[in-house]
Order: sequence, then C-alpha cells, then structure tokens
Amino acid sequence: MQGTLDLLVLQTLATGRAHGHAIACSIERRSEDVLQVGHGSLYPALQRLLKLGLIAAEDGISENNRKARFYRLTAKGRKQLFAEASKWQRFSEAMARILAPIAEENS
Amino acid sequence: MFGWQNRSKQLLEEIETHIEIETQRNVDAGMPPDQARRAAKQKFGNVLVAMEQARHVWGALWLENLLRDIRYAARSLSAVPGYTATLVCTLTLGLGCVTAMLAIVESVLLQPMNLPHPGQLVQIYSEDETQGFAASPHALSYAAMDALRRDTHSFVGISGYNTMARPVMTVDGARVNVLMEVTPNWFETLGVAAKLGRGIRPDDANAPVAVVNDEFWRDRLHGDPHAIGATLTISGKQWSVVGVLPREFHAPGISGGPVIYLPISVGPSGEDVFKIESAAVIGRLKDGVSMQQARAEAQSVFAHSGHTDAEKHRTLRMRSYSDLVTGNVQRPLWALLGAALVLLVIACANAANLQIGRTASRMPEMTMRSALGASMGRLMQQLVTENVLVSLLGATLGGGLSFLAVAAVRHAYASEYPRFDELSVHPLVLCAACLLATAVGVIASVAPALNVRRATNGRLNQRTATRKSRLSGLLVAIQVALTCVLLVTSGLFVRTLQSLEDVKLGFNPQGVTTLVLMPENPQQDPQLSRAIETQLLHRFENLPGIQSVTVQTELPFSNYNVSLHGTTDVAGRPYQKGDSAYYSFVSTNFVKTSEIQLLKGRGFTQSDETSGAIVVLVNEAFVKMFLSDREPVGATLGFHRDPGDTDADIPLTQPMTVVGVVQNEIQGGDLGASYEPMVYLDYLALPKDSFLSAVFSMSAQYAVRSSLPTAAVTAELRNVVKHNAPAMVEMSLKPMEEAISQSLGQRRLALRLVAGFGIVALILSAVGMYGVLAYSVALRRREIGIRMALGSTRQRAAGLVIRQAGKMVLLGLIPGIAGAWAAGHAVRAFLYGVKALDAETIVVAGAVLLFVSAASAFIPAMRAAQVDPVETLRTE
Repeated sequence: MQGTLDLLVLQTLATGRAHGHAIACSIERRSEDVLQVGHGSLYPALQRLLKLGLIAAEDGISENNRKARFYRLTAKGRKQLFAEASKWQRFSEAMARILAPIAEENS
Repeated sequence: MFGWQNRSKQLLEEIETHIEIETQRNVDAGMPPDQARRAAKQKFGNVLVAMEQARHVWGALWLENLLRDIRYAARSLSAVPGYTATLVCTLTLGLGCVTAMLAIVESVLLQPMNLPHPGQLVQIYSEDETQGFAASPHALSYAAMDALRRDTHSFVGISGYNTMARPVMTVDGARVNVLMEVTPNWFETLGVAAKLGRGIRPDDANAPVAVVNDEFWRDRLHGDPHAIGATLTISGKQWSVVGVLPREFHAPGISGGPVIYLPISVGPSGEDVFKIESAAVIGRLKDGVSMQQARAEAQSVFAHSGHTDAEKHRTLRMRSYSDLVTGNVQRPLWALLGAALVLLVIACANAANLQIGRTASRMPEMTMRSALGASMGRLMQQLVTENVLVSLLGATLGGGLSFLAVAAVRHAYASEYPRFDELSVHPLVLCAACLLATAVGVIASVAPALNVRRATNGRLNQRTATRKSRLSGLLVAIQVALTCVLLVTSGLFVRTLQSLEDVKLGFNPQGVTTLVLMPENPQQDPQLSRAIETQLLHRFENLPGIQSVTVQTELPFSNYNVSLHGTTDVAGRPYQKGDSAYYSFVSTNFVKTSEIQLLKGRGFTQSDETSGAIVVLVNEAFVKMFLSDREPVGATLGFHRDPGDTDADIPLTQPMTVVGVVQNEIQGGDLGASYEPMVYLDYLALPKDSFLSAVFSMSAQYAVRSSLPTAAVTAELRNVVKHNAPAMVEMSLKPMEEAISQSLGQRRLALRLVAGFGIVALILSAVGMYGVLAYSVALRRREIGIRMALGSTRQRAAGLVIRQAGKMVLLGLIPGIAGAWAAGHAVRAFLYGVKALDAETIVVAGAVLLFVSAASAFIPAMRAAQVDPVETLRTE
C-alpha cells in the first residue's frame, strides 16, 4: 500500500533524521508486510516524498562512519503527517464504534 | 543531461551504501562476508526496478527515453551511410524546395507592406475602360477624385498617381526616366517619409518641386547628401529636388530603377501638365471602416458626380493595396508553392519506401526487442524518433538550401517583380518547415511501423517467407502519378513558350530596328514636332544601307504606344454599341517596312499624301468584325457621332476609304493577346490643329528596316537625331527581335521553375522506384533461385522485375494523367496555343516516365537475372 508506506516513512522521520537503511529497518520493525518486496521499494517512495516536498535530503556520516544520505521531515511533511495521522485516527475510531456492539453481544 | 545522470548516480550510491550497511550488520551477526552480502542484496530486492521506479517519480522518463532513442538512432543511422545519405538528400530536396517557395510566398504575399497600417490602404478603380487620355487603365478622372474626396466620409485621404517615362535633364545631360506624378497628398496618404529632405506635401500643388527615389539619387545625383535643391529639367520646366525617399519604398507597379515624383497640378480644363485627365487612385480608410462600406459609399458618390453618360454607368471597385502591388505574381507564386508541395509528397513517399526497406532488414532486431518486453509503443517511438531525426536533418540542410535559393532569386529578380527585394527566409517559415519535416517524419514511419506490428504479432516465419509488399508499390505509383502531373505541367509550359515563339507576328521582325523619340519639351508646338518627325523620316530613308522607314504610332512591343480607340461607323452597316476599332497612324512605307502581308487591295502610295481624300488599310480582325459579308476594299468608314457630339469631340470628321486589307499584326507587348480590329491611316491625315495631333506629336516612333548590323544602324540613327533634331530625346532604340524576347522573359522564368521541379520529381521517382525494386529483388532472391532451379531462365527472372516495375508505373500513370488534366486546367490562364489536356504533351511525358522507369528497373532486373540457383539451394 503506497499511502501506508509514505505514512510510515513520515512517521519514522518524525523522531529525527535518518538514512535509508535506518528508515527501512524501522519500518520493518513496525510492519512486516509493507516492505515485503524488499528494502528497494523504499527508494521510489523516498523520491516521491522528496518531490512532494514532504521530506528533505542532506549528506551526512552514518553511525559506522560511512557517507550516507539523511532524510528529515520538512514543515510541510510534519503538517501532512499530522493530517494523515488524525485521518487514520478518526477512521479507526469509527471502525471501533461500528464493531463495538458486536463485541458486546458476543461477550 | 538535465542532472539526471547525477541524480541516478547519487541514488545508485545511496542504494550501494544501504546494501553495505546491511552487509555489515549481517557480518556483525556472524555471517561469512560473501553470504552476508548475498543476503543483503536479497533483502534489498531488484536494484534496477527500484531505480526505474524512482526515475519514474522524477517524471520526464519519456524524455530520457527520447534522448536515448536519439542517440541510438544516430548510431544506427551512421552504420548505414548509403541509406542515410539517400534519405537525407531526398528530404533535403523536397523540404528545401518547399521552404524556399514558402519563404518567397511569405515575404511577397503574406508579410504586411512596409508602410504604416497597410491594411487601411486600398486602390479605388473602375472596371470599365477609362475615357479620354489616360496613363493607366482603371484610372479615375481628377474630377471624380475630387468628388470622392469632397463627399465621402470613409477615407482619411484619397490620392492619385500616374506613371510614365519622360526625358529628364540633370547636370549630366538628358536621359529617359520613370516619372510618377502624384497628387500632393499622396505621400501623406501612403505614410511614406523621405530619408533626406521632405516628401511632397499637400501645399505643393503648384510648386515646382520633385522628390526622387534612392536609386535616382545614387545614379543621377551621385548619392550626394547635399542633393536637396538640385535642379531637374522635365518637360521644359525646372523642378527642384526637395527630398530623397528611403531605399525600401517602391511605388505600386515599379520594382526597381530610378524614379522621380512630381506633384500633379490640375488645370482648369481638368488636365494636368502632361495632358492627362485621370489617375490611378489610392485611398486610406478611416479606422474601423470596412472595404465594403467604403466601396458602397464611394459608388454612390461616384454615380451622382459623373458628368458624362458613360461615367454614370461605371462601377467602382476596390482592392487592397497589397493586391495592387502583388496582383500579378499572386497566382503564379501560389501555383509554384503547390508544385513544391507536390515535390515534397514525392520525397515523402520516397522516404517511406526507403524506410520500409530498412525496417524489413531490422525486423529480427524488432522481434527480439518485442520478445524481451518492449511495448509496441516503445518500438514505434524508436522508429518515429529515427525518422523525425532524419527529417529534421533534411529540414536543416533544406533550410540552408532555401537560404541560398532565396538569395539567388532576390539577387536576380529584385528589380523585376514587386517586393522581390524584400525576400528573406523568416524564422516563421523555418518553424513551418520544421513542423512540416516532423509531420513528414511521422507520416513516413507509419508504413514501416505497421509492418513491424504485423511482424511482431504474426506467426509468420521471417527468415523463409517471401512476401511482396503491396504498400511500397502503391507509394511508387503515387510518386509516378505526381511526377506525371509535374512533367505534364512543365510540358504545357514548354509548348506555350513554343507557340508564343511561333506566334504569327504578322510582320517580319528580322532586320527591323525601332526608335522612339520624344521632344524634350512636351509643350513644344505640335506642328513643329510634326515637322521634325517628317524631316527625320526623310533623313532616315536616305541613309546608306537603310531599306525603308515608317512612322508607326502603334508599334508592336513598344512601351510608348499612344492608342486611339474610337467608336466606328461603317457605311451601309447599322451602328451597334461596342463597334470600335484601334487606329494607328503610319507613313507611306508602312507595308514595305514592316513586311506585313497585304491580303487585298494596295498599300499607301506617295500620291495618297496629297490627294486630300483619306485612305486607310484595315486588318483581318476589322474585316471579320465589320465587313465580313462584303467586299472590304472600297468600303467607307468614319468615327461614330453620338447625338450632341460636336466636331471637336470627333477625332476625324472626314470619311475614310478602305484601300487594302492587311494581315493581323501583334498589338502591344503581349504575344498571347488576341487581335483587335485595327485601322491604319497616314499620319499626315491628322488634322493639324486637333487635340489628336497634339497627343500624337508627344512621341515619334519609327520602324527602320535595314540589312546592316544592329550596331551600325543604331549609330547612324543616333547620329542623324543628334545633328538634325537636338530637341528630341531618344526614349528607346533597339532591334525588334530583342523586344520580342523580352516579352517572353517572364514566361521563361515560370517555365524554368516548373521544369526544374519536374526534373527533381523525376529524379526522386527514379530513386524511389530503384529502391523498391532493388529491395524487392533482395527479398525474392530465394524465390527467384527456386524458380531458376525449377527451369526458369534468366530472361524470365529479369522479366519478373520488369513486370513489377511496369505494374507500378501503369498504376501511377492513369491517375497521373487525370491529375495532369486538373493541373493543366488550373494553370490554363498561363497557357497559350495549347489546351489544358494536350495529348502530345501527355504522350511525351508518359514516354519520358516510362524510359526513366525502365532505366531505374534495369539494375535490379540484372541482379535478379544473376541470382545463382545453386547458392540459393545450398542455403536452404
């Protein structure tokens, strides 16, 4: 799911800047499915977010002293993340309300 | 390019880093290094797909593909230089011709005139013939012009002009010069400003001022920046130069040469200094007034102002100023552009055929790419890219060619045709040519693309199947048809020129030299002029080596003819409206000098001069119109007298007796014009004090027959004029035959251009046919080999190719002849002595086409005959 991957990337970057590998690992930890086809599919998503101006890239040095490219959230990205997150929030609350009676009946 | 390579490199490095970090982690977790790397790679997935998808996000992937296609196309084209060169040459010729013609049409017909608000300028003219003594047909009288100026509200200004040739004296002596007399508001109406000094102004009506054009200033005033104030003597009056016009400005009807502009001052009699009563009229419309509105208003004013009955019934017409200037060249130019476009279509068909051949040889490559997953669209893009690349290359070279061609045309014809001095290839034309080239490239790749599609979809076994391509045969047929059209059209022009050269002149131009003299002072007493004219005639007659001399007011091919067009009554025949004839005044030796054939009766004799009775000769056309049912010799005719006409309105009141009938003779300067009824009478019969005598004494035209070389005759004549008539200025002195060839000049140019297009078309079709046949033989080698192995002969194998060629040619000839008929019909206005559908021309053009086709089929046929059956069977 493209939207999900984008959201996950944004969320990962909400805590600070990270390079591609770190982002991939973080996403892998949180969701087994999204990167199922391999870490490679992260890169088109990163390029898409860059183009939309939601994230920015800069060169830096990785934890084990390698030259790497770091990504961070832009102000626009932060706003987008907030909007998307609250949308999902509302969606899941609505889902919860719809499913609640069934749960009560079963109990 | 565009930073993509850098971005791709960066992304690749980033991915590399990613994999290395992963590998490191795996190693840290205890994996052996190579296994660690493999696992990392596996975890990452397909690098190329990730790259491709990322690039897709950047957008403009198509552009990148395009650039790659262009690089690929350039490489693959340079691998087949012969093919590429043929294709580029074909397209260069086609696009070059079209670009050059487009540039000419654009500069001459489409560019706005080089004047302020040219769209507001119109010519106002009358359809009918002008009454009275006029310098141009369609002119309006000064009185009518005044009425229009006074009573209309649609115009900012209405101005008139007349063009003539007159002797002009500068400090360097007298020379004939073009003179434009213009109403004082003419420059203001047109919006022309002088580059030195000033133009003629509305308050210059009676002032002796003159404005000269740039060429006059350079040639006759030596380009002197202080030339303002110089004095010119014209018509015995002194005129002072007040201004020099910019080089770019040309008066309507004049494309080059020195010109002097004088203000018109109309006397109380309604005539100007040159006894002209009318002028060509140019008006400038007010803002927002349409031509229709202005015409309607002018017509109503005109209808109410006419003082004569005839004037009341005349209708005014209006056309734009640019039509006035370029009217004569519009149709020929559009026709030539059409011919160039036909040429481009032929070139396009050639390109398509060449590409069909080349694509066929690339079919394995195409099927391979298709099998590897290239979409049809991707293959198509590759083909189109290659074609457009070649087309644009052709357009670039063709553009260069057109620059040269246009420069050559400008150089050669700048002073002959209107606006040809403004010729240049504008960026707009180049853009149009590029668009056209792109279109040609796309169109030419449709056919091969369809073949590719069929091949990649089909189950056909490429290697062994022999398939005839019907499409390329069809394309050749189209080429043949179009070439036939161009060839027949040029054939028609050749025939026209031949018929004009053979036109029955009615007289013998060989050995005739014409001389036109004009009194330096037109106010000179007409009687004196007449006396000088007669004296010179006798002097000329007595010169050694001169056989005979005549005076002739209507001299064939002369620019100084004064015509008398009179309504004519023939005794014993009721007068009908439109009964009129031309009158030419000649001297006793007219028949002898011009060697015009006397069909009946006798010529003039010495005794006619003194007999008192007026005797005349009439031509065949006159007999046909007036005397067809009776004996012409002895008939009496006279000028028709309308009720209310006084003696002064009639040129000659005496009756005239026909004593002889002569052959029709060319009238005016157009070889293709029809013969008008003509009456010849002795110039001595002109009544001494009549206005006619004054008009006809304004110039003297002689025809001199001599067996001496031209140079000797001209020297003798000049010498006599110099010593005996210093007051007369030589306007023209040239052999009659030179005048005839000049009259053919314009048609020769058209012929050269059309014939040039025809030849280029022929070459292109020959190349096209050769290409198709050669390719077809290459494809059918196997088939021919098997045929031979089964007992076919070499002749039959060659016959196979010849038959194929014949089929294509015949398929093209039939629509070609139909098209040629239509084209002939379209250009029939330029034809003379030949019908739009001329069997002989078509047969000759067809024969030429067949011959060229046979020649181009020869090599492929030979190749087919040399196919070795053994070799074919061995490869089987």
